Amino acid sequence: MEFIDYYKVLGVDKKASTEDIKKAYRKLARKYHPDLNPNDKEAEMNFKRANEANEVLSDPEKRKKYDEYGQDWQHAEEFERAKRSRAQQGRQGDRSGYTYSRTSGSDQDFSDFFESMFGGGGQGFGAGGQRVRFRGQDYNAQLQLSLMDVYTPQKQTLTVNGKNIRLTIPAGIEDGQTIKIKGHGGPGIEGGPAGDLYITFSIVNHTAFKRDGANLYKTVEVPLVKAVLGGEIQVETLTGKVKLKVAAGTDNGTKVKLKGKGFPKYKKEGQFGDLYLTYQVKIPKQLTQEQRELFESLEKTNLV
Amino acid sequence: MKQDNYISVKTFCKLHGVGESFVHTLCEYEIVQVEYGQEESRFPIEELPLMEKMVRLHNELEINPEGIQAIYHLLGQVESLQQEVASLKKRLEALG
Repeated sequence: MEFIDYYKVLGVDKKASTEDIKKAYRKLARKYHPDLNPNDKEAEMNFKRANEANEVLSDPEKRKKYDEYGQDWQHAEEFERAKRSRAQQGRQGDRSGYTYSRTSGSDQDFSDFFESMFGGGGQGFGAGGQRVRFRGQDYNAQLQLSLMDVYTPQKQTLTVNGKNIRLTIPAGIEDGQTIKIKGHGGPGIEGGPAGDLYITFSIVNHTAFKRDGANLYKTVEVPLVKAVLGGEIQVETLTGKVKLKVAAGTDNGTKVKLKGKGFPKYKKEGQFGDLYLTYQVKIPKQLTQEQRELFESLEKTNLV
Repeated sequence: MKQDNYISVKTFCKLHGVGESFVHTLCEYEIVQVEYGQEESRFPIEELPLMEKMVRLHNELEINPEGIQAIYHLLGQVESLQQEVASLKKRLEALG
């Protein structure tokens, strides 16, 4: 766990006034606020950092503790205990301990450094610390499936906050695609509607096929002699092997489309994309004496 | 649409600590749709996430409705560009 220089995070001097801190924080918040930076994890991280720095530096008690221990934060609690014990020996009733509690409903993530020094999260964003919500919080979940899993509709049961949610994932869902399950987020406040559950799919592809939407792509090797003379090759598709005719004089890099042999189209039952094959002519590396002599004979014919 | 599918502007503003004029301005700028009835004005529940986002921008970042309108349009463009980039990346991977 590393020490975080909150002054550096906000770009202010150690002598900065509350007003300077507020200003610096607002400047960063306008830059990194999640509502202004959709799907930007880096901005989200920066925002959380700025938020945490503000949480500490804008609170006189927290700032005092942070300034007092600084780099020695790991010993802060020991110092606090020793200080309390000294104070109790001298004067009874002087209570110098701090107590912090996590605010329920706060969706702010605080660093381990913050947690270890201050115990729990604060109120989160907002000048007055008042964050009223009416609609319940949206939940985000990730679900990992393999490419073959999503070739057919998938019935899954998810457990979110103790509740089981049954859902059928349509075939053909894409990697990174997010679906919304309405009303399965956090409960609303003061009669407000519940939030939604967003599930983002991570589709792991262990196959030899590359996927772009419903189309699949694959490179297949064609033996040199077959590419020159023509013939038949066997190709593996997602649903089994197919035989293909290779025309005589097939060039390296030739593309062939197998209609309807691709991936199911999302929410279009019975419709499939195409499979695109790229032929890679395989040049033999190890020749027998006989094969070598045949190639040499070919060479003598001035074959171009 | 049932009554439950609407949120009263008054209730929303009270809970979020914004003036009703804020919501009316957003409506004027065609960011959200508000229905003006004889008794009260209300908006469809589907608009709630967007409304709450606009309130956050207003309350937390002190952005006025004019700024929010500009942000709303720019965010729409950012999101559509992000989708385009993601789709082009996938295509590039598939062809690469």
